[in-house]
Amino acid sequence: MEDLLEDTVLIQLRINGKYHELEISPSVSLLDLLRDELNFKGTHMGCMTGHCGACTVMINGKTAKSCITLASTLSNVDITTIEGLSDEEGNLSPLQESFWNTAGFQCGYCAPGMLFLTKELLEDNPNPTDDEIKTALEGTLCRCTGYQSLIRAVKDAAENISASKS
Amino acid sequence: MSLYPQFAKPNTTEQASQLLSGLSTGAVIIAGGQEIMPSVNYGHLMPSVYVDINSLKDLVGINFENNELSIGALTVHRDIQNNELVKEHVPLLSYAAQWVGGGWQVHNRGTIGGNIVSMHPLYDIIPSLLILDAEVEIISAAGTNRVSISDLLNDTSHGLGSKSILSKIIIKPMSKSLGWAYEKLKITSGGYGSANSAAIVETKNSKIISLRVSVGAVSPLPVDISSSLSSLIGNEWNDSLNDIITSKCSSLFDDALSDQQGDDQWRRSMASVMAIRSIKAALKKIE
Amino acid sequence: MGNNDENSDLYVGKSVRTLEGKGPVSGRAKYTSDFNFDGQLYAHILRSPHASADIKSIDTSAAEKISGVVKVLTGEEAAKYIDPIPHYIDPTGLGGKVATIRCLALDYVWCYGQPVAVVVAEEKRIAQYAVSKINVDYDIKDPVIDPALALREDAKPVVRDWDSNLITQLPFSNGDPEKAISSADEVIQTEVKVHRFSTQPIETRCYNAVWEAETESITLYGTVQNPHPLRNVLSKVLRMPENKIRIHAPTIGGAFGLKMHGHPEEGLMCILSKLTRRPVKWVESREECLLVGAREQVHNVELAVKKDGTITALRDNFVANTGAPSATPGWAMSFLTGLTMPGPYAVRNLDVLLSAVVTNKPGWNASRGYGKEVTAMALEISIDNAARQLGIDPLEMRCKNFIKSDQFPYDSPTGLIYDSGDYSGVLMKAAKAIDYEGWKVKQKEALKEGRYIGIGIGFELTPEGGAVPGTLVAGYDTSSVKVGPDGSVRVLTGVTSPGSGNPTGIAQIVADELGVKLDTIEVIQGDTTTCPYGFGNASGRSTIVGGGSAAKAAKKVREKIIKVAAALMEVDEKTVNLIQGNITSGDKSISLEEVCYAVYTRAYDVASVVEPPLESTATFKPGLIRHTPDENGRINPYPSYSNAGFIAITEVDIETGQTKLLKISVAHDCGKAINPILVEGQANGAISFGIGGSMSENIVFDENGRQLTNNFMDYVMPRAHDVPEILQSHHDSPNPVTYMGLKGAGEAGVGGSASAIVNSVNNALSPFGVLITDLPLTAPRVWAAIQLARKNQPQRKVA
Repeated sequence: MEDLLEDTVLIQLRINGKYHELEISPSVSLLDLLRDELNFKGTHMGCMTGHCGACTVMINGKTAKSCITLASTLSNVDITTIEGLSDEEGNLSPLQESFWNTAGFQCGYCAPGMLFLTKELLEDNPNPTDDEIKTALEGTLCRCTGYQSLIRAVKDAAENISASKS
Repeated sequence: MSLYPQFAKPNTTEQASQLLSGLSTGAVIIAGGQEIMPSVNYGHLMPSVYVDINSLKDLVGINFENNELSIGALTVHRDIQNNELVKEHVPLLSYAAQWVGGGWQVHNRGTIGGNIVSMHPLYDIIPSLLILDAEVEIISAAGTNRVSISDLLNDTSHGLGSKSILSKIIIKPMSKSLGWAYEKLKITSGGYGSANSAAIVETKNSKIISLRVSVGAVSPLPVDISSSLSSLIGNEWNDSLNDIITSKCSSLFDDALSDQQGDDQWRRSMASVMAIRSIKAALKKIE
Repeated sequence: MGNNDENSDLYVGKSVRTLEGKGPVSGRAKYTSDFNFDGQLYAHILRSPHASADIKSIDTSAAEKISGVVKVLTGEEAAKYIDPIPHYIDPTGLGGKVATIRCLALDYVWCYGQPVAVVVAEEKRIAQYAVSKINVDYDIKDPVIDPALALREDAKPVVRDWDSNLITQLPFSNGDPEKAISSADEVIQTEVKVHRFSTQPIETRCYNAVWEAETESITLYGTVQNPHPLRNVLSKVLRMPENKIRIHAPTIGGAFGLKMHGHPEEGLMCILSKLTRRPVKWVESREECLLVGAREQVHNVELAVKKDGTITALRDNFVANTGAPSATPGWAMSFLTGLTMPGPYAVRNLDVLLSAVVTNKPGWNASRGYGKEVTAMALEISIDNAARQLGIDPLEMRCKNFIKSDQFPYDSPTGLIYDSGDYSGVLMKAAKAIDYEGWKVKQKEALKEGRYIGIGIGFELTPEGGAVPGTLVAGYDTSSVKVGPDGSVRVLTGVTSPGSGNPTGIAQIVADELGVKLDTIEVIQGDTTTCPYGFGNASGRSTIVGGGSAAKAAKKVREKIIKVAAALMEVDEKTVNLIQGNITSGDKSISLEEVCYAVYTRAYDVASVVEPPLESTATFKPGLIRHTPDENGRINPYPSYSNAGFIAITEVDIETGQTKLLKISVAHDCGKAINPILVEGQANGAISFGIGGSMSENIVFDENGRQLTNNFMDYVMPRAHDVPEILQSHHDSPNPVTYMGLKGAGEAGVGGSASAIVNSVNNALSPFGVLITDLPLTAPRVWAAIQLARKNQPQRKVA
């Protein structure tokens, strides 16, 4: 069975809609792969222990912390990074517009976590209560806002997204 | 300790177990990675080989057959929370999984198998499995074994995580007439557990006729305290039972943890507070 | 929010969305660690696992053999190339002692986590691995951890060439406290223990140094709050002139004081880049970030009071455990704690003594509140205790003792000059917003059901815009406003932003003063090559002095535009209007671009009425600061005295000791709000610090001085469910000496909310007679206090 052992791993990822075939080191985190190898710098390092959520991406449409995801275990998956929330011309999505318009962020370092958790929340629950919003945001720390402006931004995004769909 | 580890992604459990038996120490099994990666990132763990079990089909899926619910070890917490079969047959487990820390991102990636194998004292899954009399299936080169969760906790030679693979969790369905609850105490909403308790209770004419209670996050491993509370059986709930539970619990947690989630003296007292709360909440479900 | 200006043509007062806000939401903002350069190398630091030890030898040979390792540097070699780090705030200026602070330890280590050696490698994981192969032979010593023991005569000095462990001991005294205390109706003593907690921005520190061989200069990309002052420090460390050093601070992911400089890694990366001739980058791990401490202080407060609640004297002998010496400015927070006593209270008899002590814990850095939050905690918790013992409503007790609004400017007993304020008005507003009286009724009702609800008050005076004489903590700052031939505007300013939104506030000010559209303005900060010499971000100063100086510069540029517009339209310049980029005079109009182009291209005819270019640089130097000592040797380092009142409602679960914060109300006096939604955000953020600091955040050590709190599992910061609804109101009394009456926002919130929460929990537990003044109020601590009270008072009937 030793013939199963490999020194490098060949993986296929679709990142923000674009196909990548990569030969990677077995121990690299998805965060380091995205930032250091593929130059997706919008995904941020805050702790490397899975607590802060600044490294959040979506894997197959579900939020994940890229710092505690081993890249070599992923293959044939779709990854969305924060850069993939805007369209190809760089136009912001209604979700992003809401966070900008309502001063959701201050420093914005936690943006990947907050934006993707909001996206995941609103896909299932277009009109969340404050309590449901707080539950959704639990996996990401913000040190600037005391969460008040984030909750306001999520509510604005809920309105903005339903308006853009109707 | 290797700066240049190797990687293997076996396609069958046979392949995987044979591979593991041939590897020297330093191999780790990885699925969601949520438990291992913090140590890898900090260089505290530098495996020589990562064995990726995500391709093992035997570890996938939730099935109900022969009056048993079988949950594949690769099932993520989000699916434990939302799966209709889990909700119907073991609602306690589905509910407890909501309390797993780390937020939705971790619920989406963390597996029930990883949660069990880590044997972390503060985690939320084992307390419920203990009182559900769950069993786990373990695959190694020597073959497939089925052992109860409580035996697994007492046995340190199972080799899970490096030599053998946890493939599935098997649980008998809960009767609809049971009351159940999981109560968790943590310092703040971002805190890990400081004490928790799962309870399943059955009553007849308001009297308790069976009772299962476990306490987690107090001792180095979750503890099934049901047998210590057997004197509660036959009673209708009343406040004097509080004192019985408190007194019974007082001697059960001599090995209480003392860490930044709380000191041992407090944890010991919280064991009974959480046990009382979970029993009361379980009883309330029956009403 | 007092936001009545939405219909105005002016930008100031409006909650416009930030100019810089698109970067973060799109993932395109560039934080320091996002920069990589050709030939990039990565550094990893070996840190001491011991609190106190002699370094007998260091064997780097195994590390050097690892493929990909480029350089291993030890303290001994480093000392050949670089000098010790000068203090940001030199203790000798405050009557204290100076230690030699090196980038890498030499001969001995004085705290857990101190840098001992550094590896530079082609990949970060190689550097990390190689560090584990360095072998240091330590001779471990017994550490000094407890500040009380550190002060004993026989204590071993943490700094080996010092004669004691005191950095400085400073009195703050006035009047006749001895007499007031001896003649008081009662003297109420309260020991307040404020623990070690830290700011922990989600972006950790990062430095990337790029040596440029051609010009023999260094560029440091860094998470730096104060680029120009850091350049001065690095010139001394690196033995290079300042004009050969460039600091570039890009987008910052939160700072709150932790990114003020003096950190060893700043100089280390520079010298490593110079030695390897390649760019060298270091990204701080969370474990490393948690080494930065602050605020471990024990206060022994004595309040002399009359029976009616009037405070006649304050005595506080307090000890600050500032850890091992550090060049960062954190240690001086303890000085500010003493200087800002007795806060908002009209107490004239004062006997405060600060003992700032070094121990073998890691050192401090500046933390939001900068010592003033601890003043609030010590005072507010003590006053609540006094009110309880006197049987007076704590709200009434405060209002009785506040400085009155007609007493400003007010000379404080420590020599400060408070600019303005209406403290009782502020606190009453906070009380009204949350229905203080109504909660008293609810509290009684709840108690009947066995629920323990608490109502707690806190008040906080947070002087802002501080200037320390003889240091590069300056009270003034400088901005340039430059309008190009196309009419677009660049504002270059010496202040920086940690993510607070001040570039937008400054742009709003410039847009109004200049008369242009907001979206034509670009604000540039954080670059020592392009920006005017400035002092960066600290002390709630950025909008006061950055905005104030930009306004002055904009006014001068506007005058030129008006003159040339008048000449082009052939009208009297007094008739020219310029607002939002529209230039009119009567029914005539001309485009801004045409005027600007003319300034640059027609300097010898129609535009000769002004001197090109359309640029101006101005400095705003607020008044009220007094650095010439008065007859008692006292100075006033602040121009502005923001303040805020807080009411916190909590419910305590007496079985578990767990506290739930139900609601918090704040009334804030921060002067004019340039962008109300951003100002509100500052206060909310500061309150979140107060919530974490009072309830869960705590950095702990074992008995050997090894730090046990190493990650976010154990350092528990508030998450979304931990912060309740915050009711925010404003009660502004404008500062007479700043632009538009600005006072500074950002720091107020930490100490005031923390004290309100502590007082609220104690209030909830008053049926047990519990008073907890040892922070934080974690569930186990609250539970233990209840247990103790029950044991001591078994007769007390508890629901």
